[in-house]
Amino acid sequence: MKRTLLFLGLAAASMLSTQVNVYAHHSFAATYFEDKTVTIEGKLVQFLYRNPHSFVHVEAPDDKGEMQTWAVEWGAGGQLSRDGVTRESLKPGDHVIVKGNPGRNPEDHRVRMQAITRPATADAAEFSWKGVVQ
Amino acid sequence: MGDFRRTMTSSMLLIAALTTVPVFGQAVVGEFVPDIGLDLSGTWNPLLHEDFLERIPGPELVNYSGLPITEGSRLWGESWNASRLTMPEHQCQVHVSPYIYRGPMQMRFWTERDPQSQKIIAIRNYISTYEQNRTIWMDNRPHPPAWAAHTWMGFSTGKWEGNILTVYTTHIKQGWVRRDGLPESDQATLVEHFIRHGDRLTHVSIVTDPVYLTEPLVKSEDFAYNANAAGNWLYPCEEVEEVEGRPKGAVPNYLPGQNPFIMEYANMYHLPLIAALGGPETMYPEFEKVIKNPPPEPKDTLALDEITPMPEKNMAQSPNPTDGEVHILPVQGNIYMLVGAGGNIAVQVGDMGVLIVDTGLASTADKVIAAIHKLSPEKPLQYIINTHVHPDHTGGNEKLRAAGVTITGANVTGDIADASKGAAIIAQQAVQDRMSASSATQKAAPADSWPTDTYLGDRKTMWFNDESVDIMHEKAAHTDGDSIVYFRHSDVIATGDIFVTTGYPFIDLERGGSIQGELNALNNLLDLSISKHDEEGGTYIIPGHGRLCDRWELIEYRDMVTIIRDRIQAMIKKGMTVDQVKAARPTMDYDARYGADKGFGTTDGFVEAVYKSLSKK
Repeated sequence: MKRTLLFLGLAAASMLSTQVNVYAHHSFAATYFEDKTVTIEGKLVQFLYRNPHSFVHVEAPDDKGEMQTWAVEWGAGGQLSRDGVTRESLKPGDHVIVKGNPGRNPEDHRVRMQAITRPATADAAEFSWKGVVQ
Repeated sequence: MGDFRRTMTSSMLLIAALTTVPVFGQAVVGEFVPDIGLDLSGTWNPLLHEDFLERIPGPELVNYSGLPITEGSRLWGESWNASRLTMPEHQCQVHVSPYIYRGPMQMRFWTERDPQSQKIIAIRNYISTYEQNRTIWMDNRPHPPAWAAHTWMGFSTGKWEGNILTVYTTHIKQGWVRRDGLPESDQATLVEHFIRHGDRLTHVSIVTDPVYLTEPLVKSEDFAYNANAAGNWLYPCEEVEEVEGRPKGAVPNYLPGQNPFIMEYANMYHLPLIAALGGPETMYPEFEKVIKNPPPEPKDTLALDEITPMPEKNMAQSPNPTDGEVHILPVQGNIYMLVGAGGNIAVQVGDMGVLIVDTGLASTADKVIAAIHKLSPEKPLQYIINTHVHPDHTGGNEKLRAAGVTITGANVTGDIADASKGAAIIAQQAVQDRMSASSATQKAAPADSWPTDTYLGDRKTMWFNDESVDIMHEKAAHTDGDSIVYFRHSDVIATGDIFVTTGYPFIDLERGGSIQGELNALNNLLDLSISKHDEEGGTYIIPGHGRLCDRWELIEYRDMVTIIRDRIQAMIKKGMTVDQVKAARPTMDYDARYGADKGFGTTDGFVEAVYKSLSKK
């Protein structure tokens, strides 16, 4: 039912919009376990604001406690822009909590972003985003 | 449930309201004009509710239902690992013209007219998805020769059939039939029909791929006219390092029988596996009977040594001329490619004279000399570079050298003392060693064909015709004396037989070749080359044999050789003999494109060379 509602909603949205600037160059179903979620918490080391998808790289422990560099796939530049996310929204060194779908290849340490939060600090206000990366 | 119904109802009403089609003839624009056909000019938005789940979220893994794919295509798809798209060189892969109209972004048509006659020369099409520009030529020009480069959009010619624009496209790069790993080969051709109904446009595509489809694949999409086109027309793609620490040259893939997701789609939709695996039989209503009484499911998917050894005939078109002549193809900058002389020849032309890379077969030398004279009627041939020792690349050395001049020493001696000796021949030392020595199987080449200027190390550089020419040794690749030649200003690389589009690489073990050296060389070529836009253009590649390429063809070729190496390595580890490996057909998914059972460089010969090369202690 969720997929049907998503389909109808996005189909309607596509008709209203002059264009749809959200697009996966790959198939999400082929790349991620869409029925699973994982949460990682650690230090943001890189924020790539770009097409075909933006990425944040986060140093955080895996389920065995070993530190890994996680590649978290986010929306295309256009999608993030509409959501109010800019290149300056996050910076290296930020402490972030990311929730998302894990990649099918565990060795890639890849996640499809569902939500990201940077708790407020003395230097930066709280930042949070959640949504559907397409 | 009430909420769901309300959502469904309101969404459907919204879609219906927005997609109402005006009666044909009411539209202000888009009427058929007999002399020029139907005007498609303007902006069009895709109607994404058609096949939405495949087009936007994307198809599931091993969902090949209803597609007329070959056995080779299926193995290609089962071996495909989505992680491959995390490699920088795959991130900006464009959807080819038979697939791109399924993308989500708006497109624009306009016409280009002859200023004198106002007749339409071409219909132009800009597609925002991957920022692709497409030209549909309407002036009856011929398609390029088989040895010309391919592009994502291909080369298209169109004609009006009543009020339908029918387009025929060739020269398309390798891409997707479905983007869950099902390939479309570079041999595919496309017929399209653009049909306008007022403010709606129907696009019908018919793809014929002799390599990966058993019969033509027909699809259609619809678009809505957008009179208020605005928004973002750009989609710049930038490749980055998505996954940290991946070893250089590693290509993610599943070994046969080890894809863990084979059953996932079939189980999700309660289908027998035979339906999920696709094939022409799954396209037709009769297949319903098979689904009702499916054959028993395999207990396990294919084991490593149990690739179904289906013989796949090579279906690729020859990229060589058929008229026995040597043809000239402009590449870019100062560089031309000569085809029809055995191995391809690169020709650099400029104010200082002519430099060529390789000389082709002895039998075509006179025609090569004539072609060079056409390109440079006044200035002489000064330099010949041999990429390796084989006679289809060095056979013309003697005649070509005699037709040229060497000008070194002139400033010192006051006359051109060396000129009568002919052009200089440059090669890595191993080429001279092998050409000058007789072996049990081959006599030494004539002394006048030997390299005159050899280099011993990794590299020789020179400046000629206003650009630097970088000659780099690739150790133990196709042979032990391979050179690649990089024209830096023109941005063209001649690869010799390290890279060919006509078959698997010929690893000449007898002359010092090796599979790891071959892969190192292919990866080095990738390092040197840079695409202009989304893996197209930029650095052009002249292969040892076959058509002109850019970086994309190198990427796919490197991937293929790596994947086959991985399979054979796994089979060796399992204790399989060379005959068992050959019988298992580890190249099956590529045989319809690159395989050969006779001639120079057979499939079995390639598999055996890889096996022996990997087995060396």
